[in-house]
Parts: sequence; C-alpha cells; structure tokens
Amino acid sequence: MGNKQTVFTPEQLDAYQDNPFRERIAQVFSQDGDGNMTLDDFLDMFSVMSEMAPRDLKAYYAFKIYDFNNDDYICPLDLEKTMIKLTRGELTPEEVGLVCEKVINEADVDNDGKLSLDDFQNMILHAPDFLSTFHIRI
Amino acid sequence: MPLGPQNSAQSAAGRMIPDVGAARPAPPWPYLGTQISSPAVAPGTETRMEARGGPGEDWIPRGPGPGPSLSALLSELPSSATVRYRGPGIRPWGDPEPPLEQSRQESWSQWQTAPMASPEKPPESQALRELPWPMEAKKLLWRLQALSRPAKPVPGIRGSKGALLVGRVWARLIGVPKMLVPWRSILMKIGGQYGAGTEAYFGLLRFLLGLNILGALFQGVLTLLPLLLLGPIPGPPSSGVTKTCGSYDPVPQGFVDYVTHLTNLLSGEGHLEWSPLFYGFYPVQLRGGTFQLPVAYLLSTFVSGLLCLFLILRRSMSGLKQTLLSESGALTSYSHRVFFAWDFGLQGSSPVELRRRAIRYELQVELEEASMRKQAEARTGAQRAGLWMTRILLNLLVLALLGAAFYGVYQATDPHKNLQEDPVVQATPLLKLLIAYLPSIFISTANLILPPVFSLITSLEGYTRSRQIQFILLRTVFLRLVSLVVLLVSLWDQITCGGKPEAEACATCGYDYSILPCWETRVGQEMYKLLLFDLLTCLAVPLLIQFPRKLLGSMCGGRLGRLVKTMEFQVPEEVLGLVYGQTLVWVGGFYCPLLALLNTVKLLLTFYLKRFTLFAFCSPASRTFRASTANFFFPLVLLLGLAISAVPVLYGIFVIPPSKLCGPFRDQPNIWAAIPNAIQGLSQGAQDFLFFLGTLSFAVPLMLVSSVLMVYTLTLATSYGRLVSKLKGHLKMESESKVLLAQKIVELSGEERDL
Repeated sequence: MGNKQTVFTPEQLDAYQDNPFRERIAQVFSQDGDGNMTLDDFLDMFSVMSEMAPRDLKAYYAFKIYDFNNDDYICPLDLEKTMIKLTRGELTPEEVGLVCEKVINEADVDNDGKLSLDDFQNMILHAPDFLSTFHIRI
Repeated sequence: MPLGPQNSAQSAAGRMIPDVGAARPAPPWPYLGTQISSPAVAPGTETRMEARGGPGEDWIPRGPGPGPSLSALLSELPSSATVRYRGPGIRPWGDPEPPLEQSRQESWSQWQTAPMASPEKPPESQALRELPWPMEAKKLLWRLQALSRPAKPVPGIRGSKGALLVGRVWARLIGVPKMLVPWRSILMKIGGQYGAGTEAYFGLLRFLLGLNILGALFQGVLTLLPLLLLGPIPGPPSSGVTKTCGSYDPVPQGFVDYVTHLTNLLSGEGHLEWSPLFYGFYPVQLRGGTFQLPVAYLLSTFVSGLLCLFLILRRSMSGLKQTLLSESGALTSYSHRVFFAWDFGLQGSSPVELRRRAIRYELQVELEEASMRKQAEARTGAQRAGLWMTRILLNLLVLALLGAAFYGVYQATDPHKNLQEDPVVQATPLLKLLIAYLPSIFISTANLILPPVFSLITSLEGYTRSRQIQFILLRTVFLRLVSLVVLLVSLWDQITCGGKPEAEACATCGYDYSILPCWETRVGQEMYKLLLFDLLTCLAVPLLIQFPRKLLGSMCGGRLGRLVKTMEFQVPEEVLGLVYGQTLVWVGGFYCPLLALLNTVKLLLTFYLKRFTLFAFCSPASRTFRASTANFFFPLVLLLGLAISAVPVLYGIFVIPPSKLCGPFRDQPNIWAAIPNAIQGLSQGAQDFLFFLGTLSFAVPLMLVSSVLMVYTLTLATSYGRLVSKLKGHLKMESESKVLLAQKIVELSGEERDL
C-alpha cells in the first residue's frame, strides 16, 4: 500500500473485456482520465460498484460513465455513443436516432435538450433495478 | 479522450492530497472543463438550445461567446457544484489549473470554502460514505474529523458509547439471519447467467419451502405430536358393525400382494388410508382429556393459513413499493433500457453477447410497439370492426377450449362410478390405479397442451407483445386454478348428492355414506394423488421432452437443429406450476395434515431438478424480466391461490356435516361446532368475551371502523399521489426557469460586452 504505484492498463483488466463501457469505467476512475489506474483507483472502482455503495454515489459515477465528452451533461452525442456501444451497431441509424430522441423526451426535466445530473438522478428514482445492475459481483 | 500532454507526465506525481510539507502539486488530470466543453456546448446568443435535431446534425461548436459561456455559468450554481467536487484539496472537475506558486495555506482555505455537498459543515460520518470522493480524500477527512471530533459522539447517534457498541453488535446480529438463508450463492449464479426472472422463480421456490416447513411444523406440533405422545393410537374402525351411517373398513384384511401395496401407496388407500397421513385416523379424544385434539386440529389450520397470508403480504409489499416508485413505467421505458439495462457484473463472452442481444431485442420491441400503436390509431372503422370480430371469435374459441377441459376433468372424476365398477378394472390393480389417477392425468395434460395453444391464439388477436403476454398469463392462471375448482366441485357433488340434503342417499347422515363413508379422507386422497402426479410430471418433462429435444437438436445441425435445441426457461409457466402445487397443499392441508411435509420434500426435489435442467438444457432468456415486477406479481398470484383454496376448506368446515365414522369431529353436527363446545369449558368471563366477539354488536362497529380506516387510507394515498405529480411539475418548471435565466444572463452579458 502506501505510495506504491501499480498501474493497471486497460489491457490488463482481462475479465471485464466484454463490458462495452470498460474504457469509460477505466477513464472515470483513473486519475489522469486516460484509463491508467493506481491501486487506490482500482479499489475506488470496486468500492463504488459493490453492493454496499449508496445509491447516490452509484448514480453519480454512472452519470460520469455515460458522459463521454466530460462536459457534465449527457448530450445526444453521448447518448448515441452509449447506444452504439450497447448494441454493437446492430440498430439502424434511424432507430438509434429515434431512441435517443425518446430518451431525451422522457428524461429531460429542465428542457435544455440534454441530461444533467439532476435529470439523471430523477430518472434513477424510477429505476429500482439500478442498484442490482450497476454492481460488479466478486 | 483528449488530454493535455503536460498532464500525463504529472499523473505519476501521485494523488492530490494536501501533504504536510509538500508543495502544492499540479492537478493529476487535465482540466476537462471550460477549455474543451464550453466551445462544444455554448450556443452563444441563442435563446434556445437547438438540441432536438437528430443525430445526423452536427453538434457544431459555435465558438466561445463574448461573455461567460452558458456552461460556465451553470457550473457555478450550487446544484452542479456537487457534480464537480472531488474532495478536499483536489481540483474539482473542470477547474482551470491553479498558478503553481499557490501556498499550502491557500489550498487549505480553498478547501474550506470550496463548494461541497453540505457547504457549511464537514459532512457527518454517515454522509461521508455518500460523497463521490477518492478513498484517500475520504480517509484524510475522516482523520481530520477524528482530531476535531468532540468526545461526545456525532449528533445523530443517540446515547453514549455503550449504546454505540450495542448498535454495532445489533447490526452484526441482524446480518446473521441473512447468512443462514440457504442457496444464496446458487441463486446469485443463476441470476447472473439467466437473468432476474429466473432468479425470482428460484427465490419464490425457496420462500414456498419456508412456508411449507412452517405449516408442517404447526400441524405436526399441534396434531401429530400430541397423538403420538398422549395416545392412544386408534386401531382400525370396527369392521362388520353396521351403524346408521354404514360401515367403514379401510384396512385390507388378510394377505396383500406387492402390487396392491404399491398401488395403495400411490393412491393413498389401504394401510395408508388409516394412518396419520389422513384426517380419518385422528381420534376424538386423547388420553387424559386435557388436550382437546379437535380444537387443536382446527386451530392449526387457521393459524398456518393466517401465517401464510401474513408472510406472502410482507413479501409482496416490498415488491409493491418498488413498482409504485416506478409507477410511470410506460414513460421511462426507453431511458431505462439505455441506461440501466446493462448488467455490469456479466463475465464471459456468451452472457455478454446474450445480454446485448436481449437489449437490442427489447429496444426493437419497444419501437415496434410504438409503431403498432400508431398503426392502431390509424385504423379505419371497418378495419376496427373486423379486428373486434376476430377477437370475439377467438375469445369464444378460448372459452370453448376451457369448457372442454373442465368438462373432461369433471368426467374424469368418474361421478357415476361407471369405470370404477367395471369388473375388468377391479381385477387389474394397475388399471384401478390408472382410473384413480385419471383426474390428475387429465389436469396435467390440459396444463401442458393448452398454454401453447393460448399463445398461438393470442398472437392472432392483434395486440402488442406485452399485452399478449398478459392475456396468455391470465388464461393460463384461469385454466390451472379453475380446473382444480372443477375437481373439487365434482367431489362435492358426490359427497352431498349434488347439494340436495333431502336426497335419499344423503338424508340419514347428511352426506352420501354409501360411496363415501369417510369423505374427508377421500378429499385428502385426491389432493395427495394430485401432488404425487405433479411431482411425477416434474420429473418426466425433462426426461421425456427436454432431453430428447436437446439430443435431436444437437444431432441435426444447422438452423433447424438450433431451433429445436434452444429451450428457454419459461418463467411465468413455471411460477404458475409452483402456485398450483401450493394451492393443492392449502386445500388438502385440512384433510391430509402431513401434506405440507410431503410438499417440503417435493419442493426440495424440484429445486435441484430444475436447477439441473436449467444448467443442462436451457439457454438464457432472450426476453428479460424486470425483477421488480416479478417480485410483486408472483406473490400476488400466490395470494390468489390462497384465496381460492380458502373457499373449499371453509365450506367443508362450516357447511358439510362431518363423517360419523372417522376423524376427530365425528360426533359433532358440523366441524366448527367443536369450537363453541370447547369455549363452554372455559371460565365464565372468557366465555362471555368470546361469545361477544361473535355477536352483531361487535361485528357491526368493527366493520364500520375498518371501512372508515380504509377510506381514510385511500384518500391519503390519492392526495399524496396528487402532491407528487404537482411537485414533479414544479420541479420541471424550476429547472426550465433556471436554464432560461442562465441563458438570459449570457445574452445580457454578451450584449454588455458588445456595447
């Protein structure tokens, strides 16, 4: 422990290679935003993704993960990227666009065309499954 | 992700903790804020963000505006400060790099004034968990708090240090029962691989196991144990003596061969009929006279029934809370599927691929349903009339099928004893067994064949997929539970001569004593046979249907083979099977006291069998089941089964006269009469109180008070619902005005600059 610098590159996180958001998770939890995590970052990640983490904490980090351009808002571009990563490009662009539009319609409370953290947390209130899906079982 | 080149070098500088004595290091990650995001976001002088264009439209940065950009302005608001705050001494997200000559003192003061979740005071120990800070920051703050924390415990934890200790020990103790619950790891594994619905099924199975163990315990302790301890063990009823209500001679005399023994075991006759398994065995009085067996017998049934009701309600309440919370499910389905559908715990390429396919499938289903809804609205009058004609015809077809099934069940119980009295049948015990099992066979066959037919019919009715599934479930539930009711009705018909107490067969004793000298045991036997056959079906279906299918599918390759081979675990049908079995036990529990014990064994076997077939034959479901709806819907169907099972039991207790030749109630006019007789034996005060409970002067005020409470709760619920929607609208308006004001400020400051 202490100041030992053990850096885990994304390539070394083999078990989670199949997660479409693996790069984003690594980026969010790493200090430099590049995906290189120290042991403390690694522990942080597992602490947040464990079942004991409070809901607001998970919501905060989930928001960060889905915010691809790190502008504190989930804009339609972020949504598109999320969709493409989720479905591996199996949906047609029109369907992707339709779904993005519907998501913003459903979740955008302050009507600015993108989702802020408040909107996201509001949405989480309606999602009782969130705690069980945003969870890495060890 | 874009990075400043200078920052990757600084990432090795370590974490951003205000180290004692160290100079203020530069931030370890780049300023991802204003320099990168604002050009992409600030619309400059637009009053409304043109955000609703499709993804094809370019999100062109219009260049940094003349004044403070919109995003910079919005990020100064307190509500968004929580998004960016990362901990003491750590640069918030999006802050520009500080000048390097900042001293340690300044960094500390900055920490004090930096925007935090609770700006005025450092967060309390409970809230420390919820702050999105790196672990080092939290540890540091904890240490700082420990220094500055007074000897008194933090406000919010009542009492002294001793109470704190007790609280911690109590929390540990509370966690122990959770560890005792069996099969936790198996259920987690199933949930990870096959989805939440399958896990919910196995969870329900475990819950039912608990219920049955409790029920068996109650009935065993209250009826069987006193009988075994106090005695006397009743011998077989006197044979050959004909009383007014016929003679009852269940135990076979003389030599019984092996095959007959086996058939007796399977149909509950012979030696098994006169055993603690069935109602008829229990005597009226035990030795000593202090323990009232009839009262205990009745009480055990009522207490276990009420306990089951309470436990099921408790289980469904948590599911209800979750479902109510997501009450506008239709309005949030897309956002749910995009953000919360992915299970971050999936490992291995095949579950991941399947989950991906499931998400894509669900999104496509949603889009398809939306387009179907649009289509439905666009239908002309003639088309609509045609559709409704089709629906009516198909519903009539479904009703015809159900009616045929019910008629078949009725005939299978052989109401006129035509088949049973056939001499050929009497000679071969195997045929006799088959005839005895005919109702069970018929019910099980109907339950196997009809549900796929229903799904075919429902798909022709032109509903959306979710509506189709609801209809199929409704029809299957109806089929299963009503076929059981039909069986009971035909039994009732035989017992009470069709409900006519003045018919010649039923006139003397109140029931048909010639064919059913001990009718309660007969009802118990029917339930026993149904339970056994249900277990047999459970064993046979994997062996005879699923295993050959899998074999066949793997032999013929290609598309057809894969189609044949892929079987999914049909959660709703399996759950209905569980509910059906439990309803059997509830109905038969009064007439066959050890049925709950048998059901416990059956459920154990079912668990391991289903688990085996799941992992061996089934592929993960393509349709995901919402865990919250499963937790609410399944106990609800269980409640329905409990309600349906209460009717025959209560009818038998209150209306039908008990058999005169067997059972603990043989000298009472009806079964319930044992309770008033027992009350007579109590003290006068207790008698008066208990009899008062039965009078109108107690029942009417009770009913009035209950209705008042119910109306009050309903009004409270509706007013809360209205308050919630009003608050939601308020929230929306506030957020809109906030964004509007921010845009106005940007405009005005831009104009000011221009001037």
